[in-house]
Amino acid sequence: MPPKNNKGGAKAKDSSAKQENDVAKTQTVFERAQAAYDLTRPPYDKEREELGGLHALSTVEKTAYANWFCTAPDELAFLSKKAQKELWKQVNETNRPLRRGQIDKPKPDQWGKDKLGRNIGDYTVQQYEQRIEKQGQLTCLKALGRSFASKRLYASKGLVDSSTGEVYTLTEEDIKAEKQRRREMAALKKDLYGEKMGPYSTDPEWDDVVPVPQMEPEGALAAIAYPEDYAESMSYLRAVMAANEYSPRCLKLTEHIISMNPAHYTVWLYRFANIQHLDIPLLDEIEWLNGVALDYLKNYQIWHHRQLLLEHYYPTIAGSPDEVKRFARSERAFIMAMFAEDAKNYHVWSYRQHLTRKLGMWENEEHGELDSIEGMIDDDVRNNSAWSHRFFLVFSNPRYATPDSHATEADPKVPAGIVDREIKYAQAKIKLAPQNQSPWNYLRGVLVKGGRELGSVQAFVEMYVQNIGNEETEQVHSSHALEQLADIYEEAGDKEKADLCWKRLGEKWDRIRLGYWEWKRRSLKAASS
Amino acid sequence: MELQKARHVQYFQRCYTTVLPSVYTTMDSNRLLLGYFTLAGLDLLSSPSSASASAKDDSASVASKSLVPAADRQRLRDWVLAQQHRNGGFCGSPGHVQPDTVKRGWNEAVSYPAVNDTENVSLPGTYFALLTLGLLANEEETSVPTAFRGVNRIGTLRWIKRLQRPDGSFGEVVNADGSISGGRDMRYCYMAATIRWVLRGNEVGKDLDIDVDGMVRHIRKSQAYDGGFAESHMGESQAGYAYCAVAALSILDLTAANADEPNRYLKAGIPNIAAMVRWLVSRQIVFTDNDESDSEEEVGEEQGNIITVPTSEMASLNVTGTVLGGFNGRPNKVADTCYAWWVAGALHVLNDALPEAASLDGASGREFLLQKTQNAYGGFGKDAGSPPDLFHSYLGLAALATMAGDKTEEGLGQFDVRLCIGKEAASRLDRARQFWAPASTNDTIDA
Repeated sequence: MPPKNNKGGAKAKDSSAKQENDVAKTQTVFERAQAAYDLTRPPYDKEREELGGLHALSTVEKTAYANWFCTAPDELAFLSKKAQKELWKQVNETNRPLRRGQIDKPKPDQWGKDKLGRNIGDYTVQQYEQRIEKQGQLTCLKALGRSFASKRLYASKGLVDSSTGEVYTLTEEDIKAEKQRRREMAALKKDLYGEKMGPYSTDPEWDDVVPVPQMEPEGALAAIAYPEDYAESMSYLRAVMAANEYSPRCLKLTEHIISMNPAHYTVWLYRFANIQHLDIPLLDEIEWLNGVALDYLKNYQIWHHRQLLLEHYYPTIAGSPDEVKRFARSERAFIMAMFAEDAKNYHVWSYRQHLTRKLGMWENEEHGELDSIEGMIDDDVRNNSAWSHRFFLVFSNPRYATPDSHATEADPKVPAGIVDREIKYAQAKIKLAPQNQSPWNYLRGVLVKGGRELGSVQAFVEMYVQNIGNEETEQVHSSHALEQLADIYEEAGDKEKADLCWKRLGEKWDRIRLGYWEWKRRSLKAASS
Repeated sequence: MELQKARHVQYFQRCYTTVLPSVYTTMDSNRLLLGYFTLAGLDLLSSPSSASASAKDDSASVASKSLVPAADRQRLRDWVLAQQHRNGGFCGSPGHVQPDTVKRGWNEAVSYPAVNDTENVSLPGTYFALLTLGLLANEEETSVPTAFRGVNRIGTLRWIKRLQRPDGSFGEVVNADGSISGGRDMRYCYMAATIRWVLRGNEVGKDLDIDVDGMVRHIRKSQAYDGGFAESHMGESQAGYAYCAVAALSILDLTAANADEPNRYLKAGIPNIAAMVRWLVSRQIVFTDNDESDSEEEVGEEQGNIITVPTSEMASLNVTGTVLGGFNGRPNKVADTCYAWWVAGALHVLNDALPEAASLDGASGREFLLQKTQNAYGGFGKDAGSPPDLFHSYLGLAALATMAGDKTEEGLGQFDVRLCIGKEAASRLDRARQFWAPASTNDTIDA
């Protein structure tokens, strides 16, 4: 055993303890470790290292160092008993401290980095202690979480707690406490390691799901700055979709994702599958959808989903005409609420057509479809979507129309009275706003459907156009009328008059389409030559 | 007003190098579309034909080299291909890709875990993936033969065929049970026709090819009473659907080259071509800043048998001098950047089937875009004063390139209207598809 050198050791300890107190506030973790390391070796070793070699030490110190070196257990083993005796003798004579700690020389980066990439070795001792405390808290919380998980497992298997003799049960309190713990753990993890734990990884209800993260290399195209929680909820969605899970929690998850990305094309299909498996009343889902649709007016998937619901709901009420009527009324009411926001929303009009076909809302009854459309045209005579829906309503009515008749072809099965009615209707609306192209287009469409010539409305058209070509008296109240007049002349073979109308349209009455009017003129000439 | 080329280059480079803002989250399921617009924009602004002839501004030097860095191309190809489904077709976004470890059930027939997450594959995803791969073939031509290496050609064709319904229409998604989801609209016809052309689906035998006549019938039924095209039968006409319908037919014609019967499908698919021309040119409107609300309230009065008309309405038709000619997508709607493209593009394609080409007022259309929707910091917005977005920025350039025709817009490359990409890119795409093994079921490109 090496003889103790109490004197030297105690002296060193005293001075360094004092030093430690002085600098505790500003000393870094590395500095403290370095200081502790220094305390475990004699001063001449430190000096040797700092000065860069033995040559810098005095003879006495050199000897002391050599002796100290040789007293290391590994080195000592090489010496004979006699040599060892001689060594200890010299050590005592030099009277220099001889200490040797069991700690390694500290490295500045041995504590790793924190979430911001800062070297933890550069923390002050105080900061470091706070960090250690948080890590301790996290460990405790994890342990409590593990006991929660065990309890949940035992409860699910109906095991009996041998200490109390009662069956394990998981109470609301337990779950509440666990949720609170997860929140604390999430905060600690974020603080310590910058790890994010979203609402799903902190919710015990989702413990059994292993999220499927998005696989994507760095530097991909069109990366998006996702809102908080989006990436996490998507990774849980991939997981439950892959597992074909259908459950209330999945339904909630789809709602969460839809709120962030309503154009996700498979989340809607998956939501529908959930509704079917959980046997959720379709009317409840439709009600839910009403709110969502108003939030995302331009979204298409919502209407596809609604159509799917309609497909499944209709067969359950098809047997009862009253039910069908009631449903038609409530759907129409919702559609009108959508139109209050945007009366030309294409998806809504498209759904309205589908609904009309499915529920057979063709007939002109009170507060029926045709009434509703008339009301919309009265509100805004320029609403082309409403005009288009009217065309569909009138000319696709299965009671008389040829099934699948094209919009651009005559349908001899449409009664003449209906064609007359529609012509009159369009003309009445043209009177309200002669430069409104919607009813003019409608009028053309009706004439084609009815198999009538454009010339059959010549007198009406001429009300808006007078003395074409006469610079003094020429009057045009609607460029659409002048255009239609040209077509009437062309239809009747009166090429000169048609040409004059197009010429005047290009010169004065609709100049932006000059290229088109000239094209019409050239085409007519080419056709007749 | 000029095209602010340097600004647009900056805009697309910003989209290329930085993360898109979170408002794009609603397009997260279509990131391939966003990627396609980014690359197609960079390509059009730097294709060989975009170099300024007079070299009078600094944009000429910008245009000398492709703005899609050669060093990035392999990585971007890998990114696109990572969204391919094992059974063919592409997911719209990395977020829809399930890892290989996800297998469902057990396929009794082959005693192998069944893979049936096919509903994640989408028609738009597949379309944009294939076009992006074509865009990524580089100018040096060395990558043209391998542009589609790694694409599951036969699987994709088989899947496209399953997307078609008995009425000829296409859906967006094939569900695990084989049912088809998605609308019946013209966009899907256009995408299906383009995918078939890229993969040369017409050369792999009837069993794998789609029902072309059915598609043409479906398109034909969708012309509306006013001459435009609707999403499907008896709907309201809309300019986007008009372009998709016409371009779909025209692309079908590319695979049915027959000197005796040019534009066979274009003619077969449009019942009334003259009415369609009329509807398209009617989409151009004189833009005035207080366009919308004023005229709504004005109503004509009947005096004897003469009806007076609000003067402002008729006056706007007779303006002279420099006019801003915007385009709307439907009658009585406001002008919007993208409709300049849909209308001009549709008319351009339609002109192929006409003995003589009809024209729009390109000059006023151009002024509207450059003065009203071109953003001071690059890109185009939806309408006057809107902030720029990728969709309108690219289609704004597409509209300008299309309206300029053979003259070309200064600083923009020549444009292939049918495919909606630059001419050189379209040519690379066309040459790349020649490397599919002809008339065989070999689904890889040997090169």
